[in-house]
Amino acid sequence: MNMPDAKRKPMISIRGLSKTYAGGAGVPALNNISIDVAAGEFLVILGPSGAGKSTLLRCINRLVDPSEGQVFHNGAEITAHRGDLRAIRRQFGMVFQQFNLVKRLSVLNNVLTGRLGYRSAWRSLLYSFPEADKRIAIECLARVNMDHKAFQRADTLSGGEQQRVAIARALAQQPMVILADEPVASLDPKIARQVLGYLRQSAQELGITVLCNLHQVDYAREFSERVVGMSRGAVVFDGPAAALTDEILHRIYYREPGEAEKEEA
Amino acid sequence: MSALAFDAAVTSTLAEASRQRGARLVRALIWAAAAIAVLWFTGAQIGMNPVALLKGMPFMADFFSRMFPPDLSHLRLLGDATLETVQIAVWGTLIAILLSIPFALLGAKNTTPHPVVFHATRMFLNALRSINELVFALIFVSAVGLGPFAGVLAIALHATGMLAKFCAEEIEGVDRGPIEAMQATGAGRLQVILFGIVPQVIPAFISYSIYRFDVSIRAATILGLVGAGGLGFSLIKTMKLFKYHETATCILVIFVIVFVSDWVCARIRARII
Repeated sequence: MNMPDAKRKPMISIRGLSKTYAGGAGVPALNNISIDVAAGEFLVILGPSGAGKSTLLRCINRLVDPSEGQVFHNGAEITAHRGDLRAIRRQFGMVFQQFNLVKRLSVLNNVLTGRLGYRSAWRSLLYSFPEADKRIAIECLARVNMDHKAFQRADTLSGGEQQRVAIARALAQQPMVILADEPVASLDPKIARQVLGYLRQSAQELGITVLCNLHQVDYAREFSERVVGMSRGAVVFDGPAAALTDEILHRIYYREPGEAEKEEA
Repeated sequence: MSALAFDAAVTSTLAEASRQRGARLVRALIWAAAAIAVLWFTGAQIGMNPVALLKGMPFMADFFSRMFPPDLSHLRLLGDATLETVQIAVWGTLIAILLSIPFALLGAKNTTPHPVVFHATRMFLNALRSINELVFALIFVSAVGLGPFAGVLAIALHATGMLAKFCAEEIEGVDRGPIEAMQATGAGRLQVILFGIVPQVIPAFISYSIYRFDVSIRAATILGLVGAGGLGFSLIKTMKLFKYHETATCILVIFVIVFVSDWVCARIRARII
């Protein structure tokens, strides 16, 4: 597996990122986050619900606009860039906790939606995709071992299968990065490990950088070498998974509001 | 918690539950009394009078006896009018289906390009729905002349108001997850609608459309009253000529059409959904 390499330009560089939601009572969801992610890295962002993990991922592909700070992708700033949002987003595949497949479409058509960012709206009006896109989609399905169910409707699949299809959809974007937001939170442990395995393996084979939000410590230790721990919108740990001590886990999961100021002081 | 404190907590929650139940009952009684008072008052205002109904019974019986038996020989003259009624409903509903798609997208909070467009669209749709088909038919008869085309336009407009509003509400109720997923792929606005929203609302939209066709059939049977084609014209004509036996035949045919369309629509809906 690729380790973070100081000499290499980071794939993603986050600088001073903050986000306060309108109506959030002034409490920041993200508070001055700075992280570098190397190309090919499988980074786990660990933290309890409400720590700001989802907001962080969504600030990267601009599903959420950050209040302050910058995100650099391959050295180019993508935060302030008002220009082509589609071109930015298609470079980041996304995997969701609730899978978010279009239930009434076939598995293959769901994966093909990963190609939408490359295709014109007029062609989409006919719900048709070029032959080349179909080839890409089927290859991606094969990577997660779901090609045998290509013509089944998405809502006939089990949760684990749906998430594998969702991973194939993200792969079909031929992205540089995959943002996985609690991809296994709705799955049982056995299926969860299988799904994380598919995610890590396909990313490795294709050289895709992965940022994966998790709240389970076990999976973080098992699947990642580097972990970023988040609590109340701030990074409270950034280091190898092996260094996750009880004291650090306590800081991630049980930190009281007052402790944030003490640490910063 | 000690056993005693536990008991006390349970008892006080029980007491609170019965107190809340009592308060709800009192509120319900007050509302019921108010509703009855209002209904009584409005009933008197609009001259609701059971005695008048009873006194009128013989006249109604007389009317029905004049209609009986229906003149079935009149049936062969109603063939064209019956076909026309169905044709008006088909075309009116079809135009409404096509028109309601863009209006639904403009009039749903999550797909409208601008809040001003949203409010304007909803207001327009409300206007369409608030004007009865017969009123529209009167307008169109004076615009395009007597005949079924005026009826088609009348049904199309009124039905667009209903279908578009239902569909817009359906669009507003879709699961946000697939929409976010489509946005994340880099899909454009139209693509997000096509792949994230349309598959979610298609079953309901088809169901509403079939239901609306059923309503359109019923509307089409009376549009002839104002000269907009269909069976209604035969109905009013025979009545004005005091040919009540033929009027009865018209009513019978209307009954059969409505019954058949209801049955067919139910079958189609069961097939599709």
